[in-house]
Amino acid sequence: MKKLLLSLIYIGGFFLLLEWLWPLGILTNTQNTGVFYLYAAFCFFLAFMQVRWYIAVPLKLLGLIFILDGLFIPERIFSSGWWSILYEQLMFNAEAVWAQEWWNFTAFFRSLLFLVLLWLVSYLLHYWLVIARRALFFIILTFVYITVIDTFTPYEAQGAIIRTFVLAVFVLGLLQLEKEVSDDDRKEIKWKTAILALAPLVGAVLLAVAAGTALPKFSPQWPDPVPYLENVTGGAGTGDGEGGVQKVGYGENDSRLGGAFVQDDTLVFQAIVEDRQYWRAESKDQYTGKGWEDTLEEPVTGRDPGDIGYSLFEETVETDPSQGFIDFTEEADFGKLLYPYGMTTIGNLENPLEIDLHTQTGEMETRSGGDSVQPASYTFDYGAPAFDLRQLREAGGEDPASVREKYLQLPSSVTERTKELASEVVSEYGNRYDKAKAVESYFSSNGFEYSTTDVEVPEAEEDYVDQFVFETKKGYCDNYSTSMVVMLRAEGIPARWVKGFTGGEIKETDAELFGENLNAYDITSANAHSWVEVYFPDIGWVPFEPTQGFTNNADFTSGTDTDSGEPERSEESPEVEAPDQQQEGNPQQIGEEEGTDGSAESGREEGFLRNLLWWLVPAVILILPAVLYVTRLRWLSWYYGRRLAKKETPDTFQAAYRHLLVVLDKKVQKRGEGETLRAYAKSIDRRFETVDMQHLTTQYERLVYRKEERLQRTGLSELWENLIKKALS
Amino acid sequence: MSQSSFMLNSKIAEVIKNINKVIVGKEDAVILSMVALLAKGHVLLEDVPGVGKTMLVRTLAKSMNCEFRRIQFTPDLLPSDVTGVSIYNPKTTEFEFRPGPILGNIVLADEINRTSPKTQSSLLEGMEEANITVDGRTVPLKHPFFVMATQNPIEYEGTYPLPEAQLDRFLLKLKMGYPSYQEEMEMLARTSGTHPIDSLDPVMTLEELAQAQESVRGVYVDRTIEQYIVSLTSATREHPDVYLGVSPRGSMALMKAAKAYAYIYDRDYIVPDDVQYVARFVLPHRLIMTSEANFEGKTAEEVIEELIERTNVPVQRNVSE
Repeated sequence: MKKLLLSLIYIGGFFLLLEWLWPLGILTNTQNTGVFYLYAAFCFFLAFMQVRWYIAVPLKLLGLIFILDGLFIPERIFSSGWWSILYEQLMFNAEAVWAQEWWNFTAFFRSLLFLVLLWLVSYLLHYWLVIARRALFFIILTFVYITVIDTFTPYEAQGAIIRTFVLAVFVLGLLQLEKEVSDDDRKEIKWKTAILALAPLVGAVLLAVAAGTALPKFSPQWPDPVPYLENVTGGAGTGDGEGGVQKVGYGENDSRLGGAFVQDDTLVFQAIVEDRQYWRAESKDQYTGKGWEDTLEEPVTGRDPGDIGYSLFEETVETDPSQGFIDFTEEADFGKLLYPYGMTTIGNLENPLEIDLHTQTGEMETRSGGDSVQPASYTFDYGAPAFDLRQLREAGGEDPASVREKYLQLPSSVTERTKELASEVVSEYGNRYDKAKAVESYFSSNGFEYSTTDVEVPEAEEDYVDQFVFETKKGYCDNYSTSMVVMLRAEGIPARWVKGFTGGEIKETDAELFGENLNAYDITSANAHSWVEVYFPDIGWVPFEPTQGFTNNADFTSGTDTDSGEPERSEESPEVEAPDQQQEGNPQQIGEEEGTDGSAESGREEGFLRNLLWWLVPAVILILPAVLYVTRLRWLSWYYGRRLAKKETPDTFQAAYRHLLVVLDKKVQKRGEGETLRAYAKSIDRRFETVDMQHLTTQYERLVYRKEERLQRTGLSELWENLIKKALS
Repeated sequence: MSQSSFMLNSKIAEVIKNINKVIVGKEDAVILSMVALLAKGHVLLEDVPGVGKTMLVRTLAKSMNCEFRRIQFTPDLLPSDVTGVSIYNPKTTEFEFRPGPILGNIVLADEINRTSPKTQSSLLEGMEEANITVDGRTVPLKHPFFVMATQNPIEYEGTYPLPEAQLDRFLLKLKMGYPSYQEEMEMLARTSGTHPIDSLDPVMTLEELAQAQESVRGVYVDRTIEQYIVSLTSATREHPDVYLGVSPRGSMALMKAAKAYAYIYDRDYIVPDDVQYVARFVLPHRLIMTSEANFEGKTAEEVIEELIERTNVPVQRNVSE
């Protein structure tokens, strides 16, 4: 009966530990988290079965080796190649440790550390729950951990809180029951009593959960702390994963896309324009299979703000001239101009800034004396393009060599099935525009789902696009836009990946500016976005929007009469949507516009891994001595026991006996200052109902008080073991 | 407190068994009498009359085939009544020494506090010096020589309390106490016919006793035990309730008694338990309490008990040697 209680407590403890592990899979983009859960379960199981250490330690070690082998070492296990890889890994990381370059640790070593941590934690929990029978502290820690994780990371802990609550109440209840059982040794609990005792516990927990679910709840009384705090502190954060907290925003590094993120409604800038605009920052040309990189190019420096002289499309495209104004908050410090499609001039830059233009990417860096500076506000003139559908469809001719060279690039990681899919999707269509539209709309159905939380990071050999298109089908703008670019490129259509911000939320209509009535929009970090530009000869770069729930910002006019006879599906042509309609027509949009540019996550992710490591190393360093200290009686017992069993000499016996005194004093019964060994032995023996302690004591007395140099009897080791076992159990 | 679970020395066990034929209960008193006898010390029994003091000593004497003498101290007793006197013998025309009761092996000095200090000191001198001086002649006392003095609790009227300096001539001070209900019933049953002491046989010869005393001297005292003894006695000197603590002679007495006690339990080395046990009987009568403590009713026994509890017992081999 006691066993059953203990096992229930233990299982409860294991699930509590799992609550600690779940977020790791999501936050650190760690793959194969299942293995870690399994390993934790394995360690728990061994501890629970009270497997002897000399079996348990090799077993755990073997498990550890098998996991590492399966994850990281391709060689056959225990082959010479395997050993050499292991050796190299260990040497490399040992050097990293030596040099204190924690970030240089390989995944292999990180996993190794993590597994060791799990091992230790399983031991610690075993100690806490089964030996010390205290769980409250661990439960409180669990709650703190979950709430912190929920607040500052994308992990949604709603379920976790409820699960933890249930587990916590169960474990505490069971512990209490167990305590009462062991307080009264003689009273052997019957099954019936046990069920009677457990039933109210189960009932109370269920009732509490049910009541908690059913009762009305207040909406949050406090603002979401992350944006709030950043507002208060004038927080920086273009999303470069500070402190391992992933949140959305504009960032520089897009080399590794994927992973979940959390919404962040910190205001980045306010724009006063006629219509909702996409705010372009830059484009990227090189797809790496994991993310995007720039081909570096020298910027054209010292552009005249009065005449940017840079356009994404040719003059043949009709434009609708307009004016606008941008006002950045402290939050923005990416050192770039944001601009709508068709911008021509910039005015009223507050401070005399130089503008460095990267003609390839369209990135306009603002500098002052060589330092990157974010302008506080500026006005601009722009001509919003209205692309003529007929013109687009008829656009023929050769792509310029410079375009073909850069924007058809594909890494070897792009899979055959991606290419096959691309050709299948576009097969029906003859011209570039229809092909692009076909790919764009491919993602709006076919089982794709917009998600910011449940997004995976590709594994080492996996392609980012392949993973999204064929495996997960869940993702946000980066997944959609990258996939579209890759599929178009596979079909020989030059395309590139663009980042910036979406139009934001309308704040004020009829804002007075330039004597006109314009609209004011609030653009937050959550509006960071990525989309696609496709090159059309003689027209230029035309934006496309493959992401579900988003609508293309650019206008497409059906121009003349030709549109009716087109083979396209009807929804393609009337892309002429007013911004207001967009918002209403797309209720998802507001909630989902957090779609970030990938830079944020990739930077975050790296930062997070590094952070995890920063935590992991000190955690192991801290926990190891803690575990050693907490378990010192056990391993010291083991040590003295071994010594005594090996050879029973006065020395080993005296050491072992003194250790026994310490253990008994700590675990069983205190020995008073003036209490003699003999009297103490007697009361211990009375307690344990043995005479072993008195036998040992008589022997010990002869050594100490009679200065004998040899032992009078043998088999002391056995008596000693018996007592130690009783004392420690 | 008795260590009955540990083996007794076989000869001593025989004696004790013999004594128990007559004395009901009182194991502590019996064992401690043996301790004093074996350690060549003397015992002061402080108790009311009629609880079996005399019977204990007589049984002890008879079990060892010793010469038993008894002196009943009265206020008018003279020193010569204790030591003996030289009387002129007209036949031999010489003074002839007629030995007094002190010249026995086991002497019961009953109600020692009822006689004058002068007479008391004649006995105490003998206990200390192991011989007496009568009319300028030194007369050696017998071997073994064991005095068991009894004293009524000193509050009683008409007594001459023994001076403190004299008290530490006694190795132990015991109390007999009343027997339990059961024990008293048993006592009645035993003595209803012939008194069992009449049919008691000796079980130990004087030679054997002398041998045993010799063995007691050979009991090993470890340095750790010596340290423990000194810690205990010196702690009495620092105790706030104690006016005068235990003298070095007290330490020696404690060691002697512990040795004898160890011997009784068939050990040739002392363990701290021996010291603790005998300390309760060896030390209290060597303390002089402050008047405040007396006023508060705190006894020397309580002080010793407290110190035993407080003083660290050595549990590790002494490695400084």
